[in-house]
Amino acid sequence: MNRAEALTGYSAPSTLISDRWMTGITMGFLLAVLAFFMLFPVYDICKLSFFKQGVFTLRNYAAYFTNPRIFRSLTNSLYVSIVTMVITTVLAFFFAYGLTRTTIGGKGVFYTISTFPLIAPSIIQGLALILLFGRNGLVTRYLFHTDWNIYGPTGIIAAECLYCFPNALFILYTTLSAVDTRLDEAAQSLGASSLKTFYKVTLPSAKYGIASAAALSFNLTITDFGVPVVIGGNYSVLATEIYQQVIGMQRFDLGATISVILLIPSVGAFLLNYYLTKKSYALISGQARPFLQPSRPFKRWAFTIYCWIPCAFILIVFICVFLGSFVKTWPYDFSLTLKHFDFPSLGGHAPLWTNFWASTLKGEWQSILAYKYAPIWNSLWVSILVAIGGASLTLLAGYIVEKKKPRGDQVLYTLSVLPAAIPGTVMGLGYILAFNKPYFFIYGTFWIIIINIIICNFTLGVLSSIANLKQIDKSIEEAAVSLGANPITTFTRVVFPLTKTAFFSNVAFFFMRSMTTISAVIFLISAKVKLAAIEIIFLDIDGRTASANAMCTIIIVIVVGMLVVMRLITGKAGLKGMGATT
Amino acid sequence: MGRNLRLENLTKEFGALTAVDHVNLEIEEGEFICFLGPSGCGKTTVLRMITGFETVSEGKVIFDGKIINDLIPQKREFGIVFQSYALFPNMTVEDNIAFGLKVRKVPKKTIAERVDQMLDLVGLRDWRNLYPAQLSGGQQQRVALVRALAPNPQVLLLDEPLSALDAKIRVRLRAEVKRLQQELKKTMIYVTHDQEEALSIADRVVVMEKGQFRQVGKPIEIYQCPTSSFVADFVGTSNFFKGYRTEDRVSTEKREFKVSQRGTLAREEVFLAVRPEKIEVFRYGDPPGGIEPSNLVPGRIDVVTFLGAAVRLVINADGEEVISDVIEREFAQRQFRQGDKIFLYFPPEAFLIYPKKEGSQ
Repeated sequence: MNRAEALTGYSAPSTLISDRWMTGITMGFLLAVLAFFMLFPVYDICKLSFFKQGVFTLRNYAAYFTNPRIFRSLTNSLYVSIVTMVITTVLAFFFAYGLTRTTIGGKGVFYTISTFPLIAPSIIQGLALILLFGRNGLVTRYLFHTDWNIYGPTGIIAAECLYCFPNALFILYTTLSAVDTRLDEAAQSLGASSLKTFYKVTLPSAKYGIASAAALSFNLTITDFGVPVVIGGNYSVLATEIYQQVIGMQRFDLGATISVILLIPSVGAFLLNYYLTKKSYALISGQARPFLQPSRPFKRWAFTIYCWIPCAFILIVFICVFLGSFVKTWPYDFSLTLKHFDFPSLGGHAPLWTNFWASTLKGEWQSILAYKYAPIWNSLWVSILVAIGGASLTLLAGYIVEKKKPRGDQVLYTLSVLPAAIPGTVMGLGYILAFNKPYFFIYGTFWIIIINIIICNFTLGVLSSIANLKQIDKSIEEAAVSLGANPITTFTRVVFPLTKTAFFSNVAFFFMRSMTTISAVIFLISAKVKLAAIEIIFLDIDGRTASANAMCTIIIVIVVGMLVVMRLITGKAGLKGMGATT
Repeated sequence: MGRNLRLENLTKEFGALTAVDHVNLEIEEGEFICFLGPSGCGKTTVLRMITGFETVSEGKVIFDGKIINDLIPQKREFGIVFQSYALFPNMTVEDNIAFGLKVRKVPKKTIAERVDQMLDLVGLRDWRNLYPAQLSGGQQQRVALVRALAPNPQVLLLDEPLSALDAKIRVRLRAEVKRLQQELKKTMIYVTHDQEEALSIADRVVVMEKGQFRQVGKPIEIYQCPTSSFVADFVGTSNFFKGYRTEDRVSTEKREFKVSQRGTLAREEVFLAVRPEKIEVFRYGDPPGGIEPSNLVPGRIDVVTFLGAAVRLVINADGEEVISDVIEREFAQRQFRQGDKIFLYFPPEAFLIYPKKEGSQ
């Protein structure tokens, strides 16, 4: 008797939407979103800088290059970026070397501490340095009674080095742990000294990773807005000059011109980084590596001390800002207080939140919670929407590029990775130019901010989605299809569960970026639409440094809280490989 | 007639490359067909066109009298077993098997029954709640097999299903596939590059090369009567000699053989192929009587390799390398050793003769 009797009467569901149609529609949607919210604003900037009343002109560029005060922002930007790039790359390289090629203890601690700068806005480095070395700095005023202070290029470079460190470290860590250590062993077995092995084998095999880390550090520094605005003093750089021209002087044409000038080095560094990353992956061998031979005691101690140096600086930054938000008058009166958390700004308005607290509370608490804490509430729900929207869109884009490969997938890929090349301030100005029109109803609301943050951080989300999807065997999807599953079932029941971890780490990434981002969003906020990270800048500009610290502390607490929740959901730490790219 | 699958002038072009070149085949319901060929010969592409994962450049795929070229894979109701198993890692064995039934909205009770049935079929009832990563390769492929069978597909397609497994398990699972096929009487199309596998399980074997079907036939026909020197070379092992035939004699570079397949009076260039087990080996100096003297060739044993039941000898015959398989008992009786001088005898009827004008040699 036939044990498996025929199972008749059930056939595949008849309402199958063709896979090709689904792919086409999804891709069309993503292309439209990227073109409209990324290419269009950049196009508007270029147009404004080159055209006056419809006529092509280079007048704006002539104005830029002939005004020494404004022109200086270019040389200043290049100077701080190059110095930061060199220092960060060297520091991070030996740090990564210590973590991957020596047998020092406490690697996990070092690695974790080095990722801290990612959970805070870049300004935190600036704020901490001001607390230590500013006009009323703990070190400068209190310990040495000197008038020297850190404002200007020194401060920018020091702060940017701390900010870029984890980003450069990720690349170098990956490179060094992927390059086969057996090469080193082979060289040593052939009689080469350790130093010679390092110069002739280790360094050349990591060269693309090093160059890629350098290009990324350069890009991050030249496009950063938060650090130079708080610690730059009168030292103007391209990113702050754009803001100055546009918001300070209403010179949109000059702002656009500076934006185009800023685009050149930042796109250049991005392309270089992109090219080098591809090259460096080609060098990675997939073979299993033997255990590291124990390092000699001297090497171990030297690297342990060395690794503590950047970690100590990073810890000091966080401790300073944290303390700075709880003490009465830094650095004179260290008695504890919570008064800086009663933000002196006028406060704002948040949907739901304000109405809720205004109706439930009375008196002082009403004004604190309902109005003064409104920006924090705004940041939180904006970030949640950005996290969900960003992670979903980038997963879809990655899925189409990596798995569906329809005609024109390379166009989608290019548009998806391009946002990392466009500095936040440029994108912010572009949004004003492109969307500040009466008929564009979401301008001036939170929705434009949400879209902007998603687009600005699209690159990393897509790249990590692609990397994750690459690991899924193509046959698994075909198996689902051959068993009769339609494209939606295949995606929801098979593909999505397999990418869940990557999806949640993208959720964490987008949330973090959204809570801490400043550069693009600062152009899009208004009296009614306020965000916590931007408030730090305004508090600092108003001289309310302690409250700026307090706001920073709150953001960090929220981000850390979210990372803990994510860890509980996925059972995995959510920080690895999540360097910022804009 | 049952629900036959027919390939008509089926062609697939990838740009300038023709991966599958106008192939024709009729597969009857319940038949076990094997596509055999070297890697890159187009056998997987044929399979993928049948499944619908690859579009057809030219020609037709006809199932049960209907052209199904443009039917999406979900609607073809063909089961597929993949080389990489392709089990859903996020689902248990049970859920994997039930997947195809769930998407068809089969009632829960029927699904449970069917899953039990399938688990019994491959003896994995005790493993039903485990995840694929907890199973061995052989078990995973068994699950993949019944997962494909669970929705009762019209045709089961297997794409090198065993090539990721260890040799021993491969042989055992091969027998299991064959048993299932005979039990379920399901049309199966099996792709492999392993000739032993193809010859041992298929009803009919299709030998492919460069996108074309070189020979279609029962395993024994393919082995004993290869119709081309490519098949003679690819399936099993053959010794080849180049030469010229006149009537029943073929003169090669070094000697002249008598053959049983007579040619014409005109001299024509040919290839001779001889299977190693058809060549007889005698100790030097005692050739038996009643043989064709011109087909007796002296030589020296260069290499001795034990294959188990047989012993493979690599013989140097005046500078030419000849492979001969001797059964183990004969080898022991005649006390052959490496370096021994011997006589090789090529029976005239052992030669397969192919015309010179042929692709591969």
